[in-house]
Amino acid sequence: MAQPKIAVDLILSKLAEDAERSRERVQKASNVLLEPLDTEIATTPYEVVYEEDRVKLKHYHPVTEPEVKTPLLVVYALINRETMLDLQPGRSVVQNFLNKGIDLYMIDWGYPTRKDRYITIDDHVNGYMDNIIDFIRQRCDMPKINLMGICMGGSFCVMYSALHPQKIKNLVTTVSPTNFDTDQGLLHIWMKALDVDRMVDAFGNMPGDLMNLGFLILNPARLMIDKYVGFLENMDNKQFVENFIRMEKWIFDSPDVPGETFRQFVKDCYHKNLLIQSKLELDGKRVDLKKITMPLLNYYGQYDHLVPPAACELITSKVGSKDTEDMCLKTGHIGIYVSSKVQNEFVPKIAVWLKERDEDRRERKANKPPAKKATVKKTGTKASSAGKKAKK
Amino acid sequence: MNETKQENTGTETLLATWLKTATEFWGSMARTWANGPDISAASDTAAASEKEAAGRTQESLQSALKTWLALSSVMSDPEGLEAQLKGVHGLPEVLSRLVQSGWDGFFQLQQQWLQRAERIGKTTEAYKFENLDQNAFALWNELYEKEFRQFLHIPQLGLTRFYQERVGRTVDKFNIFQAKVAEFLHIFSLPMEKSHKVMQDKLTEMAEAGELPDDSKAYYQMWIKILEGHFMTLFKSPEFANAMGQTLNALEDYKISQEKVIEDILGMFPVPTQTDMDELYKEIYLLKKKVKALEKKKFER
Repeated sequence: MAQPKIAVDLILSKLAEDAERSRERVQKASNVLLEPLDTEIATTPYEVVYEEDRVKLKHYHPVTEPEVKTPLLVVYALINRETMLDLQPGRSVVQNFLNKGIDLYMIDWGYPTRKDRYITIDDHVNGYMDNIIDFIRQRCDMPKINLMGICMGGSFCVMYSALHPQKIKNLVTTVSPTNFDTDQGLLHIWMKALDVDRMVDAFGNMPGDLMNLGFLILNPARLMIDKYVGFLENMDNKQFVENFIRMEKWIFDSPDVPGETFRQFVKDCYHKNLLIQSKLELDGKRVDLKKITMPLLNYYGQYDHLVPPAACELITSKVGSKDTEDMCLKTGHIGIYVSSKVQNEFVPKIAVWLKERDEDRRERKANKPPAKKATVKKTGTKASSAGKKAKK
Repeated sequence: MNETKQENTGTETLLATWLKTATEFWGSMARTWANGPDISAASDTAAASEKEAAGRTQESLQSALKTWLALSSVMSDPEGLEAQLKGVHGLPEVLSRLVQSGWDGFFQLQQQWLQRAERIGKTTEAYKFENLDQNAFALWNELYEKEFRQFLHIPQLGLTRFYQERVGRTVDKFNIFQAKVAEFLHIFSLPMEKSHKVMQDKLTEMAEAGELPDDSKAYYQMWIKILEGHFMTLFKSPEFANAMGQTLNALEDYKISQEKVIEDILGMFPVPTQTDMDELYKEIYLLKKKVKALEKKKFER
C-alpha cells in the first residue's frame, strides 16, 4: 500500500494534543491570573532631589563604592516614560549602572497637561535641562557632568552639548535620531506626510494614545496579534505573565507631548532635517555640532524600526570631538534596554568608557557652577522589607 | 352658463355685504373708543401714562382701520371682486401645479442618484475587486460632495445663523471623517485578505509536494510572516501615507468644528471655554518664562 503524501493522521493527532494542552493551560492560567501578581515597575530606590513644574529629577541610591566620580544624568524621551530603564528586577539598566558604581540621576518629564502646550524644545533644553545640570554640578561640586540621552532625549542631549559644552564631560547617545533625511524607518516616511500644524492646532498637545496607536500600526502583525498569541501560549507561567504585564504597563503609559515641542521637532527635524546640518536654532541660538568637543559614544540598534541606523550613525562624523565611537547592537529600539543579553554588553561598556574618561579632575576649579539655590525634595521614596523601594 | 352667472352674482353680493358690515362694525368700534371716558382730567402720573398708552393703541387701531377701509373699497368694486373669485376658482389648479413641480424635482433627484449608481457599476472593472472598493469610496465621496454636502452649506439666516452654520459644518466634517475612516480601515484590512490568499496558495503547493507541516504552530508562523510582509509593503506605499494623512486631517477638522459648537454651548453657562483657557495658559507660560529668565540673571550676577 502506497504511503499518502500528507500525513493527515499525524496532523490530526497533533491538533488533538494541542487542544488538550490548551485546556490544561487555560486551567492553570486562571489560577495565575487570579492570584496576586508582582507587576510593579521602576522599583529601584530613588529620591526626588529637584522639581520644576511637572519635571522631577531622580537620584538613585548608590549600592556600591563609586567607580566613576562624575555623575551621570540620563535624559529620556518625551514619548513614553523613563520607567523603561527600570522595568523589572534583574533586568534593569538602572540597577546595572548602580552595580557598576555610577552616581546616577534621571529626569522624569512627568505628564504634560493642556497648560504645557506652549512649552518649546528651547524650554526643555535651555530651561529644564540646564537648570537640572546646574543643580547636579553644584550638588556634586563638579564643573562638568556626564550626559546620556535616550531616543528623543538623546537629540535633546546633542542640542544641549552643542550649546553648553563647558558643562558636559562625556556624551552618550543611545538610539537617538539626529539625521532625519532617511526612508529607512516608517516613522520617517510617515512624519514627512504629517500636517503637524493642523494636528497641534486641533489637539493642543500631541495625545499619547494617538502616538501609541501610530506605534502599534508600525507593525500590527507582531504588536497587535503575535504578541498576544505569545501571551496566550504562556499565560500559565507566572513569571512570564508578570513581565508581560510590566511591559504592557510601560508601553501604554504614554504622556502627551507638549504641542509646540512636537510641532518644532516634526518641522525642524523630520521635515527640514536641521539638526545634523548644524542649522537648528533654539531661541535664536544656533545648534552648531562642531561645538560638541567632548568624547561621544553613540549606540544604536541594527533592527530598530523607529530610529534606524541611518538616523543615528551620522552624528559622530559631524561633531567637533575627536574621541567618538559608534556602537551598533543587533537588536531593536527597546531591545537595548530590556533584553538581558544586550544589557550585559551595553551597560558594562558604557561604565568602562566613562571610567576611562573620568580621570581629569583638574577642570574642577576652572569652571565652577553658579551658586544657585535649588529646590530639594525628598518625596517619592519608601522602604520595603526586601530593600528600599521607590515609587513614581 | 346662466346658472354660473347667477351663482357668481350671488357670491359677489354676499362678499360685498360682508365687507360692508365689517367696515361698519370696526368703524363704529373705533369711533366709540375715540369718544370714550375722558381721562384728560386725571392729575396723577399713572393716569397720564395710561392715557399715553391708550392714545398709542388707538392711533395704531385707527391706522389699521384706514388700511382696511381702503382695501375693502377696492375689493367691493365689481372688477376687484371678479379678480378675487377667479383666484379662488383657480386654487385647485395652483395646488396641482405645486404638487407637480415638487414631484418632478424629487423624481429628477432620484434619477440623478440612479444615474450615479449606474456609473458605479460601469467604472468597475471585472475581477478587479480592489478597484471596485476603491471606486466605491471615490464615488461615495463625489456623491456626498455634490449631492448631500450642499444641504449643509445652505446659507443660514437670522439671529442664530452663525450657530446654525457651525452645527452644519460639524455635521459635514463628521461625515467626511467617517468616510475617511472607512476608506482607511479598508486599506488597512487589505494585507489580511491578501495574506489569506497567499497562504492558501502556499498550502496547496505544499500539499501537492507532500510537505505540509504536522505542527499547527508552523502554520501560524507561516501566516504571520506573510501578513507582516504584506503590511510592510503596504505601509511603504504612498497610497497608505496619503490615506492616513487624509484620515488624520479629517479627524482634526472634525475636532476643531466640534469644539467650536461646544464653545457656543458653554458660552451660555458660567464655564470657561477651551479658547479662554488657552489664552490664560499662554499668558501664564510667558510670565513664567520671564520670571525664570530674571531669576537666572539674578543668580548669575
